[in-house]
Amino acid sequence: MSEVTLTIDGKSVTVPKGTKVVDAAKQVDVDIPVFCYHEKIGPLGCCRMCLVEVEKMPKLMTACTMDVAPDMVVKTVGDKVEKAQKGVLEFTLLNHPLDCPVCDKGGECPLQDNTFKYGPPDTRMEFHRANNVKAAPLSPVITIDRERCIACQRCTAYSERIEQNRELVMLNRGFHNEVNTFNNQPYDNRFSGNVIDICPVGALTNTDFRFKARTWDLTNHDTLCANCGVNCNITFGTRLNELMRIEARPNDAVDDGWICDKGRWGHQFVDSKNRITAARENSVGKTEPTSFPNFPIDAPTEEAAEKVVEVFKRIAEEHGPESIGFIGSPYATNEESFLYQKLFRLLGTNNIDHKPYQETPGLPVNHYDIDAIESSNIVLLIASDPTEELPILDLRIKKAVTRCGTKLLSLNDQTTALDKYAGLTVKYKIGSEASAIDALAEGLARELGESIDFSSDLAQTGIPADEMKSLVEAVRSSMKICVVYNPAALSGDSALRVKRLLSVISKIPTVECGAIPAAPATNAVGAMDMGLLPDFYPGGVPVSDSEKIKELWGEEAPTKAGLTTLEMLAKAKSGELKALWVHRSNPVVDFPGGDQVVEALKNLDLLVVHDMLETETTQLAKIVLPSSGPGFDEGTTTNIGGRIQARRKALDSGVPADWKLISIMLKKLGDETEYSRVAKVLNDIAKRVPGYQEINARLVGKLGINREQVTVENASPGNLEGANGNGKLKLRVASYLFAHDKILDASSKLAHHFKSSSAFLNESDAGSLGVANGDRVRISGNGVELDAEVNVDNRCAAGGIVVPKVSDEQGVNGLVNLDGSPAWVEIKKV
Amino acid sequence: MTQILFKDINKEGLRTMKVYEELGGYQSLKKAFAQKPEEIVEAVKASGLRGRGGAGFPTGLKWSFLAKDVFPRYLCCNADESEPGTCKDRELLLKNPHLLIEGMILCSYACRIETGYIYMRGEFHDLSFIMDKALDEARAKGYLGKNILGSGFDLDIYTHLGAGAYICGEESALLNSLEGGRGEPRMKPPFPAVEGLYSKPTVINNVETLCVVPYIVNEGAESYAALGTEKSKGTKLVSVSGHVKKPGNYEIELGTPTSELIYNLAGGIQNDNKLKAFIPGGSSVPMLPASKVDTPYDYESLAEAGTMLGSGALIVIDDSINIVEATLRLISFYMHESCGKCTPCREGTRWLHQIVERIMQQKGKLEYITRLEDICDNMSFKTFCPLADACVAPVVSSIKHFRADYEEYFKNIPAGAAS
Amino acid sequence: MSEYTFTADQEKEIERILAKYPVKTSALLPLLTLVQRADQVVSPEAMVAIGKKLDVSPAYVQSVMSFYTMYHTEKVGKYMILFCINISCQLNGCDRLLEHTAKKLNIKVGETTSDEKFTLHREECLAACTEAPMMRVNDTYYGNLTEQRIDQILDSLD
Repeated sequence: MSEVTLTIDGKSVTVPKGTKVVDAAKQVDVDIPVFCYHEKIGPLGCCRMCLVEVEKMPKLMTACTMDVAPDMVVKTVGDKVEKAQKGVLEFTLLNHPLDCPVCDKGGECPLQDNTFKYGPPDTRMEFHRANNVKAAPLSPVITIDRERCIACQRCTAYSERIEQNRELVMLNRGFHNEVNTFNNQPYDNRFSGNVIDICPVGALTNTDFRFKARTWDLTNHDTLCANCGVNCNITFGTRLNELMRIEARPNDAVDDGWICDKGRWGHQFVDSKNRITAARENSVGKTEPTSFPNFPIDAPTEEAAEKVVEVFKRIAEEHGPESIGFIGSPYATNEESFLYQKLFRLLGTNNIDHKPYQETPGLPVNHYDIDAIESSNIVLLIASDPTEELPILDLRIKKAVTRCGTKLLSLNDQTTALDKYAGLTVKYKIGSEASAIDALAEGLARELGESIDFSSDLAQTGIPADEMKSLVEAVRSSMKICVVYNPAALSGDSALRVKRLLSVISKIPTVECGAIPAAPATNAVGAMDMGLLPDFYPGGVPVSDSEKIKELWGEEAPTKAGLTTLEMLAKAKSGELKALWVHRSNPVVDFPGGDQVVEALKNLDLLVVHDMLETETTQLAKIVLPSSGPGFDEGTTTNIGGRIQARRKALDSGVPADWKLISIMLKKLGDETEYSRVAKVLNDIAKRVPGYQEINARLVGKLGINREQVTVENASPGNLEGANGNGKLKLRVASYLFAHDKILDASSKLAHHFKSSSAFLNESDAGSLGVANGDRVRISGNGVELDAEVNVDNRCAAGGIVVPKVSDEQGVNGLVNLDGSPAWVEIKKV
Repeated sequence: MTQILFKDINKEGLRTMKVYEELGGYQSLKKAFAQKPEEIVEAVKASGLRGRGGAGFPTGLKWSFLAKDVFPRYLCCNADESEPGTCKDRELLLKNPHLLIEGMILCSYACRIETGYIYMRGEFHDLSFIMDKALDEARAKGYLGKNILGSGFDLDIYTHLGAGAYICGEESALLNSLEGGRGEPRMKPPFPAVEGLYSKPTVINNVETLCVVPYIVNEGAESYAALGTEKSKGTKLVSVSGHVKKPGNYEIELGTPTSELIYNLAGGIQNDNKLKAFIPGGSSVPMLPASKVDTPYDYESLAEAGTMLGSGALIVIDDSINIVEATLRLISFYMHESCGKCTPCREGTRWLHQIVERIMQQKGKLEYITRLEDICDNMSFKTFCPLADACVAPVVSSIKHFRADYEEYFKNIPAGAAS
Repeated sequence: MSEYTFTADQEKEIERILAKYPVKTSALLPLLTLVQRADQVVSPEAMVAIGKKLDVSPAYVQSVMSFYTMYHTEKVGKYMILFCINISCQLNGCDRLLEHTAKKLNIKVGETTSDEKFTLHREECLAACTEAPMMRVNDTYYGNLTEQRIDQILDSLD
């Protein structure tokens, strides 16, 4: 892009062509006041606050709408500009109420600040200020004060250009302009809260924060949202060790300045009654545990942990290291996961995992950061539903499609909200992703003149041949493609097939290919990188690479592949696994199996759960250890774009930090590494994890840093198997952002989003089942029954059923067999 | 006086194809199709025709600004006639719809446009039926549609109705409205000639402007340019209204003295009162006192006198009213019509209204008069579109020429009564 | 909210309107006009139905609709009287005539008669200044008004 040089207040500045004068001024520290202009939303030209003088132009110009031009001479000071600024501020304040003393925006209000700096000393307004509605609910979480509104249209432009649902609009005309929704309905969507951050006055405020604290009394902690794998940057405002509010903290590489409503209002769990604050022993399981010592009631957590880890050691010695296992957490920090895998490998086992699905660390192509979506001309979503799973990715994709010329392709078994932005949506039958992905890879290989046969069966997927051809052609002719896939939504070994597909795409000479592994969990990528895996050490080092393992982890490090989560649970059921340690995970609800999981966990000699909130699984544990968790903990996480960022402590929990607790246990087992601070753990990670070599706390800094590529040997998926449902329907458990779980509990500010169970059926299946919209059906499978309301909307192809997980209580994962095999369910009208 | 637009305006049946053709209608098409499109643009440039909607921008030049080689392009005829005092386009649409169609065909041919819209204000619903009927007749005759008269040129024209918003007469607001949006003006640049309707190059011309084009093609640019003054060429429709005996639309050669319009064509002042003031170009231009009544009615002379020709609406005010009454009515209009997007306009029009109203209630302060001027200064040229400037025009000019009328309201205030 | 349905004739008209534009949203004003003329009001249900036809949110429809003065959220009378009060009409005595009209209809300006026959609105310039004072009753313009002429016109409407 060509550059333009201009002069602003006598200072020369060179900026890319197309830059607005207001942004160019920032480069040379010239402050041009604005209300309506927002860098991410684009120019509006409403408020007229940014009037500047431009040489050779007869009238003052708005700096926010004007592109820079070569040799332009801009003056932001002088009588003419200053009179205009005073005039505009006088108009702006004319009917603005003087309720600053009770306004939540006070202290961080652009209207106050601009008036202070540029405004008239007094007002000449002698009439009654216009009265308007004060403090009306715009939604259950946002309050609107129409008297304070200065009609800058930032929020409505946000709704139109960023969130793009156009739910928040300007109604009426002229002085009667007002921000509102259709028919006074609540402004309620996944991204509504951002209008609070961008409102330049106190018109849109956070209902939860109203009158709670003055902004200047808050302690603001720069940290990360812990609610999904995007890891949006947030400011966690606290006062007297209490969470007051959460705001977006712009990071272009991650969130582009926005957060979703779950990020803003979904951290109330820090105040939850269900928080675990002390170690305890439950009276569950066998009354006389074979290998279990007396556990002191009310022991300090550190002491309890030391005792428990010794028992694990003893069990491993008694029954062999295969008899113990660890289910880690895709929500834990890198430091916690790193130390935990170290601990269990020190105990001699590779029975370490964190997920109920198959996936390998690393990628055969570039691991794209999130902002690569904007520079890619094709984004291919595979089994991914960003709107529900990784909401801010949804905004980024919409931005790319509507503003950057990116074309969106979708290969999925269900219709998603982003489909309407897609140039091409290809839908495969639930459970047939293996063939769908392989068919795409084969098609591309054919185009390359390679005869690869993965023996895909397109007929099984239900995808018409010409659709697949179009998809192949779109991918083949892309210049830069970003593949976004959700391994957690792929069945069997399909994630490995995606990697094989990526290898094929990367062979097309004209295509630059990268991918984003988009599992929804907060630190899913970090958990993979940190080696919470039965077959990989941290940094994607396979257990088979004994030489490297010995070099990094010592002579004793186990090199035999361990059990996956589902295998561990199966072995627990059969009695072969004696002791299981679960860190911040709730297999009873989140893993397939349902009652089978309960049965398996009950059959253990010893179940230890280290968690921050009470769950169905903690109820089954013999020992419960308190985990600090987001808000209280500190460390790093690696987001879906491979960016390592710092999560910082905002509140004191009174519970030892997880990394500290694990390091105490490590010491107990004889590990000599000194982890005095969490940064020391990161230093150890840098030493031992390929891809993280250069990382340290300083480099991570405020905005994070991309790790090096974690590479992994070529994946080799197994052979395809056909399947037949015998009249049953194949189940797809979909995500719902506002599921009623432990994070969003009954007291959540977002409880108005909770839903009851729905079953999405294809028209043809609904027809043959004789059910219609609104009917209740009973879904049964794996010995579990679940009632749901029918939605006939062709969300999936015939032969399948989509049931979003709407709550923990719903128990939808119980419909799936513990072995993770395809779930065929029976539907009956109630 | 030479009549171009109003030559046959009162001929019975003029709005039918039959009569229109008998009077020589649509003859220009063959002439035009025999020329290259660029030649028509050049002819319109040479004729000196300027936009008759209000801004007075040279029409041919506007056409030549269209983004090169970008298609499709659109023509929007601005038939949103809403400027208080103006009703000339309505008479053309009502009585001579085919003249507009002919003009639009010529413009479209010259600018390589294949789709035209006539954006009519919503209140012209009945006129849209007349227009639709004329368009149907033109289609039936092959003047619209594919391969018009074997020229290889395709064009269709549709009517589109607004729904009550003065601001939609502003060309970029008109485009937003035509696209199904709120009639808020757009940022410029990009100008409509580059990115207009549906982000494509677009010509927007007033009804009267387009109606002149057939004459230029038929009679030649020179014969049009021979009319009027050196810089203000041709004729102009002027709507004379207010305190005159014979209000009406009159076609004059530009440069005709304003007094001729008022005293001769419009029959002089009602009740033989004295002329007090006149607004020469629609409510958005500054008013002038009676002393300026001999000002030639053309762009330059009126500008020299401190006002504008605008849309050609001459509003005549006699000495029976206080000028502040008329001023308040106009402020009220702009307050009502402000789209509300720009702060100075949204807030300023209302504030001006409050102050003038207070003055008229005899509750004002003398300093309000200078305050009005200062508020006007803070409004003018500070907004997106000229609506705020239009509101300021009557206020500033009324204070300038009729300060005594304002002072009238302070005369009988008992001491200490001012609030 | 109940569902709004267009009549078969309206559906046909909508097709004809849509055919005029390369972009659907351009039909928004015409569709609102269609509904307003048929129902004398644009109900929220109709806004939803129009939004569906044009793939825009109902909020957008309402936003656009509320910008223009010719659409109404409350049902107006069979005859909509728009009485011009702008400058040329003001100079020719419209205020007195408007007052007369309101008195005759026994309503205030802005109101609808109890039999829902007439709604009387003050209106800005209607581009008939040379016929001032004037009013528009539904689609018809009436100029050069006097008290007698107004009485005649209103009495002749049934």
